Amino acid sequence: MGTWDGLLTGFAFALQPGVLVYCVLGVTLGTLIGVLPGIGAMAAISLLLPITYYIGAEAALIMLAGVYYGAQYGGAVSSILLRLPGTPQSAVTALDGYPLARSGRAGVALFTSMAASFAGSVLGIVVLVLLAGWLSRAAVAFGAADYAAMMVLGLVAASTIGSAHPAKGFAMIVLGMLLGCVGTDVNSGVQRFVIGRAELLDGINLVALAMGLFGVAEVIGNVRDPGRQAVAGRIALRTLIPTREDLRRMPLPVLRGGALGSFFGALPGTGSTLSSFLAYAMERRVARRPERFGTGAIEGIAGPEAANNSAAITAFVPTLTLGIPGDPIMALMLGALVIHGIQPGPMMLEARPEMFWGLVASFGIGNLLLLVLNLPLIGIWVSLLRIPFRWLYPAILVFVCLGVWSVRGLTFDILMVAGIGLVGYLLALARFNPALLLLGFVLGPLIETNLRRALLISRGDPMVFLERPISAFFVVAAAALLVHSLVQARGRRRAVGAAAPDDGAR
Amino acid sequence: MVKRDWPDIWGGLAIALLGLGAAGWAWITYDPGTLRRLGPGAFPIGLGLALAGLGLAIALPALKRAGAAVTPEPWAAACVLGAILVFGLGLRPLGLVPATALSVLVSTLPAPRPGWLWRAVLAVLVTGLTVLLFHVGLRMTLPLWPRT
Amino acid sequence: MTRLTRRAALALAAACAAAPALAQDGWPSGPLHVYVGFPAGSSPDTLARIVTEPLAERLGQPIVVENRPGAGGVIGIQQMLVAAGDDLTFGTTINGPLTTAQRTMDDTGYDVDADIVPVTLIATSPLVLAVNAESDIADLQGFVDAAGAEPEALAYGSVGQGSGAHLTAELFAAEAGVSMLHIPFTSYAEVTTSIAGGEIDAGFMAPSAALPLVEGGQLRMLGITSAEPFAQVPDVPVMAGQAGLPEDFRAELWNGFIAPADTDPAVVERLNTEINEILADPAVQEQLLAIGWVAAPGTAAGMEERIAQDTAMWGGVLDRIEAAE
Repeated sequence: MGTWDGLLTGFAFALQPGVLVYCVLGVTLGTLIGVLPGIGAMAAISLLLPITYYIGAEAALIMLAGVYYGAQYGGAVSSILLRLPGTPQSAVTALDGYPLARSGRAGVALFTSMAASFAGSVLGIVVLVLLAGWLSRAAVAFGAADYAAMMVLGLVAASTIGSAHPAKGFAMIVLGMLLGCVGTDVNSGVQRFVIGRAELLDGINLVALAMGLFGVAEVIGNVRDPGRQAVAGRIALRTLIPTREDLRRMPLPVLRGGALGSFFGALPGTGSTLSSFLAYAMERRVARRPERFGTGAIEGIAGPEAANNSAAITAFVPTLTLGIPGDPIMALMLGALVIHGIQPGPMMLEARPEMFWGLVASFGIGNLLLLVLNLPLIGIWVSLLRIPFRWLYPAILVFVCLGVWSVRGLTFDILMVAGIGLVGYLLALARFNPALLLLGFVLGPLIETNLRRALLISRGDPMVFLERPISAFFVVAAAALLVHSLVQARGRRRAVGAAAPDDGAR
Repeated sequence: MVKRDWPDIWGGLAIALLGLGAAGWAWITYDPGTLRRLGPGAFPIGLGLALAGLGLAIALPALKRAGAAVTPEPWAAACVLGAILVFGLGLRPLGLVPATALSVLVSTLPAPRPGWLWRAVLAVLVTGLTVLLFHVGLRMTLPLWPRT
Repeated sequence: MTRLTRRAALALAAACAAAPALAQDGWPSGPLHVYVGFPAGSSPDTLARIVTEPLAERLGQPIVVENRPGAGGVIGIQQMLVAAGDDLTFGTTINGPLTTAQRTMDDTGYDVDADIVPVTLIATSPLVLAVNAESDIADLQGFVDAAGAEPEALAYGSVGQGSGAHLTAELFAAEAGVSMLHIPFTSYAEVTTSIAGGEIDAGFMAPSAALPLVEGGQLRMLGITSAEPFAQVPDVPVMAGQAGLPEDFRAELWNGFIAPADTDPAVVERLNTEINEILADPAVQEQLLAIGWVAAPGTAAGMEERIAQDTAMWGGVLDRIEAAE
């Protein structure tokens, strides 16, 4: 079956009322749980899984997928409006989305995130249809050395996110990497920094970390802040509509972010959280005036949102083409298929074309639905800002707790949120950037595990990082970038004396 | 304006101590390994030392520099964290409804508006919304009330 | 109001349960909770749902599957023990938390003999040895020859230190008289990708993890660790007796139904009977096979014996691994 025939079959399948309704249900639910801080796609899908036993395999997959990419849309809403990431993926969106909202342009920020999400998804779908085969071969070709080198490049690229005060930025990344060491060490099985708690053996819960650092710390800092008590006056419709200047700033970041996200989404084990961070770093890198970032740059929303949405789509590439789930959520989806007696893998395209193409078509339909659903909602979301904060934050705290609890049902994780929240509040007081901590936390274990694995596989020969072409490329790129930023930093120090802008921590 | 950048001094020192502590603990407890077989200690020791260095790099220059003052809100922090603890520790023995209501009441303590009526109304509203969203909507298996 | 009456009824039922003679009549007095130490959608979770669904029908009470993933299944058992005490709290678990966790973890927080009573084995699952489809290794003998060329000539992947895949490979290596380089990963997805990419040479894995890549022509299966051929992959030869391995070579993962130690023995007995009848149903057997498990009904004593056997067998393998380090 050719691509064109396949797509036609797919749309014919996905547009059947009995299938469409699950798509609508999935994306609506996804948006909702995305908006709620704490509870994310992972928890929602595990909760929905038992229900899918009673519907067809295709409809079940389409619904669960809808929850997954729908959550990426919703996550940005609370990031932008409240600086509380709805999902870890959207934490980086708060960096510029929230300042924009504070300056009365919440509508523009939301519009940007929705439009970028949609465009990113479309890009992801195009990549999925045209390049699935190539991407799945690339995923197999990537070895431990390549992953390690690529992550180091990511680290170098991202380390300038809050660069007004480089030492503070690096400290947060290193602290994040150190926190990433907590738990069972993959390579040796040694249990590190677990203070005797089995709950920590699988590491610190990412959701608890994101919610504690951003959500709880933000709530504490604003409880008594009268400036945070509702936006005064009516919201003029004019402030909801982006200016021509805003629109002009969007396409390139969306393309870059979408391309980056498509690539990272397809690589097993990297995930969409990382892709949105790296897209942000990339935008900051290529920007002519990087100092605008952190104060409400449209590009800082458009890039990451396009990236995490395209990653959410291409994450299906290894799952569907190889039968290899790239992240825990994909493993869950795979489980849902296996329950229905379907073994995803290279044979699926031939054995069940309506499933593959139906899913692809549902991505298109679902994302269109999300855009149509969310654009009119922008006005409603923005009016949330008129509710005094004291009416909102108690509910936010309860939702955060339940969201974290829903991941694996452990009281311990809720108590962790309180502990991390305290640390997050102290870090915020001292004006450290929590986004970098989160980045280090995601990147650190990937670097450590893959670096040590690569050395183990090469029987201890460090030349492996230069002998493998993919890895060598990333090593050279990382070195070049490092030299470039050092030269640039020296130049800037000479040019500018002081007067560094706020580094976005507060 | 104060004469020194106290947030950076304290923040830097705390981070330096944390890094030293982690590196020290890892040094004693975990094997750093060899190049061929890097042990579980290699990364924590390296990261801990790097963190200690960065902490000093933050704190030392701040000694000779003026910085913006910060106003910590210990009461707000205590109540917000307390609300989370109440919810977490109360969820299993008390059930979702009492835990939510109690947590809301604790978290509203530092809110800048006096009076109890709005707090009670909010507790009822949030509890209702929580039950509706998580129990009815998402069908989480949580006890609503205390067990027997 | 209904809530109150139901709670009153529950309290009454709890009072009744205190009298042992009445326990069987009133049981189950409410919904059962079955703790699973793996996330929803995972293979052990699906297995638990396949069994608990008909079980709920037979007992006339709903069964809530409580997923408490973490620490290789240990968290699930810990949480079952926290919630225990009402004769309505149970668990299903893979072998690891009952046989090797006490060795591989600093502190599991429970004592298998003192805190847990086995109800029945549910199913077993063998592992297959898979290599890259383009490798020169044609069969198990070829694999042992290649691995024996020099120490650590071949590198194999597992799903973690002390995992079933790791221990099985080390058992195999010891029996075949070879030594291989162990590369730990965290999931079969990573292991299969790494073999398909030619980065590592082999790996022991669940048949269902290997199947998609075998069908795609990227992986080849050389042998299976069960005593008999496995219906999911009928063409894969049994390892026992081949390539110098002993005739009784067998290494299987299993999954069992457990209860907290203070559970009424009559309840354990009843559950054993019901689950054994469920496992006798060909439809259930087929469902289990589809996710890579073969039904293995039996007595509670049989499961206890299996725990003891495997604890000893894997303990020996762990001794050897520790001695080598």
